[in-house]
Amino acid sequence: MPGMRDVEVRSRASEALILLVILAVSLPLITGYSLLILSGFSKSMVTNLDPSSFYPTLMNWILLLQGRTAQFAGIRVNIWGIVANTLVVALGVSALVTLVGSLTGYAVSRMNFAGRKHIMMLLILLHAFPGSVLVVGVAFIYRMFMPPLEYIRFYSFFYVIVARAAIEIPMATWLMKGFFDMIPWEIEWSAIVDGASRFRVWWNVLLPMIKPGVAAVMLFGFLAGWMDLIYVRTFLVDRTLATFIEANAEAEYAYLPLVAVAGTLYLLPTIIFFIAAQRLIFTISVSGIKG
Amino acid sequence: MVSVKLVNVTKVFRGGVVGVKDINLVIEHGEFMALLGPSGSGKSTTLYLIAGIYKPTRGRIFFGDKDVTKLPPRERNVGLVFQNWALYPHMKVFDNIAFPLRLRKIPESEIRKRVVSVARMLRIDGLLDRYPWQLSGGQQQRVAMARALAKEPDVLLLDEPMSNLDAVLRISVRAELKRLQRELGITTIYVTHDQAEALAMADRIALINEGSIVQIGTPSEVYGKPRTVFVGGFLGNPPMNFLEATVGYVEDKPILVIGNNKLRVPDHYEELVRKLGLNQVIVGIRPEDMGIMDKPVPYRTIRAQVYAVEPMGRETIVVAEVDGSQVKIVTSKSIVLREDQDIHLYPSFEKIVLFDPKTEKALEVLYEEEKLE
Ligand SMILES: Nc1ncnc2c1ncn2[C@@H]1O[C@H](COP(=O)(O)OP(=O)(O)O)[C@@H](O)[C@H]1O
Ligand SMILES: [Mg+2]
Repeated sequence: MPGMRDVEVRSRASEALILLVILAVSLPLITGYSLLILSGFSKSMVTNLDPSSFYPTLMNWILLLQGRTAQFAGIRVNIWGIVANTLVVALGVSALVTLVGSLTGYAVSRMNFAGRKHIMMLLILLHAFPGSVLVVGVAFIYRMFMPPLEYIRFYSFFYVIVARAAIEIPMATWLMKGFFDMIPWEIEWSAIVDGASRFRVWWNVLLPMIKPGVAAVMLFGFLAGWMDLIYVRTFLVDRTLATFIEANAEAEYAYLPLVAVAGTLYLLPTIIFFIAAQRLIFTISVSGIKG
Repeated sequence: MVSVKLVNVTKVFRGGVVGVKDINLVIEHGEFMALLGPSGSGKSTTLYLIAGIYKPTRGRIFFGDKDVTKLPPRERNVGLVFQNWALYPHMKVFDNIAFPLRLRKIPESEIRKRVVSVARMLRIDGLLDRYPWQLSGGQQQRVAMARALAKEPDVLLLDEPMSNLDAVLRISVRAELKRLQRELGITTIYVTHDQAEALAMADRIALINEGSIVQIGTPSEVYGKPRTVFVGGFLGNPPMNFLEATVGYVEDKPILVIGNNKLRVPDHYEELVRKLGLNQVIVGIRPEDMGIMDKPVPYRTIRAQVYAVEPMGRETIVVAEVDGSQVKIVTSKSIVLREDQDIHLYPSFEKIVLFDPKTEKALEVLYEEEKLE
């Protein structure tokens, strides 16, 4: 943040040292991502930091956009269909997580009902459960209510979105609760005295005040849906980027630079988000309230 | 417009904290009532009970003849201004003021007319296009007032609306608000911890302490005839002086003994002291009700030593010590006094209030209550 001042307790030298350590620790990660992205632009995989293995080409991207899984195999896959499927899952999860998270977050923050404390504890507990635990239960229900075959695609999208969102909602609820907690009670009372219903207060007064928080939850939800493998793999009839990459990485005919390209596409939202997030995360606060 | 009546209202919060207990209060139609008390005494709680934000644990609340105890806030038609003004930060001033009107589904053209007229009244009609964070504290306070008034409420409730303003601004807004209330003739309840504000603005003041109403009366009544030590000590700047005295008798007439001083009992208390048969009393004297003399007068003056002199321009505050305790005297005369100098304080006897040290109630109050039992 420009113009931000810190308490001046550390010396310049120790600050440099800290930076160095952070850099050293993140070096393997940065190298990994760089190699992946570079490989996408090369005829063969760039490995072992060997510059001679880099033969620059845009062929892989062209192939990918044409929907080919292998250079010579000639099998066409509709990559735009896959991106669209990924988007449906990501946006679906994002919308559901944001809606449910901001409603439950409001309830937990502002309403005094029996068992409120227990619900809050339960939410933390739920967050600690790995997604794979839920798969079994979801699969059971999935099989119980199988629709006619022609609807099974929509049915499977519904299950992926709801199950993935269910995993993210506890965290989103806690995040949203934190934002609602920052809003003074007087604002809410004021709106109620002015004649607003509880829902109106939530929608017209409180949510607009915590837009950055809503945006953050939307983004986390989006990324979770975008990256999900376990539910997509288990329930979705169609493929998303994650399952596409997985299938290709396993396939014997796999042409790896192409997988690298898909991988880059897959990582894109995350990269964009983290660049954008630097600003977002610093500005997350209840905006516009003056002392 | 309506009158507001609280009957035996008690509010106990979750966890057993008592907000207010057994409040009985009537605010007349068009009256400006100040609710005055120290921080944590239950002023806001009382106001929120009237607004409907809190529901009383016991007791009833009436607007006129209508029992509103169970009505939700939006069905009470009250205007409420909070200490932090609680403006909606994402809405422009216009939309802030229009918010309650829009919720009533009033046509937009009518809303515009009303917002502009109330904004003009509060002299913020030039600010309608700004966001709250673009306004000064004084302007924000006006916007909050405008929002409360735009819906033409039956009752206006103000919770320390000026405590976030600087001292100079507060004094100018004070007069303006009083004038506005008179012109609109709207039943108003004004919560404050600032005794000067309450005395300056209100038709009547209700003093509240530890959740209970201690005294209700006009500013001159509560100032001149405090019913308890608390009221005397809370009102006035500097507040009432208190001196502990023993009751003695000289030739069958009661006298007050303060250290080595003997003081006659004010005429209006002579009979009460006798009837109540107290051995100890607290003598309450307002700082402006004492003169300073250099010679003692038997049974009429109290000997004191000058502790400090504070010249305030318009008046001088003399801090003196009487028998180990401090008293303050406000005098308009520019008298020359040395520190540690011996002086003699001459109280106006008709203004003295005597309290019972045990109950801290004024003797006349104590007597009334004993008679009732
Ligand atoms: N929502 C609440 N829950 C529990 N206790 C409260 C609540 N609101 C106020 N109190 C308590 O009630 C008492 C009176 O509070 P309040 O009416 O806010 O005082 P004032 O406005 O005179 O400063 C205080 O002891 C306060 O701690
Ligand atoms: Mg208060």
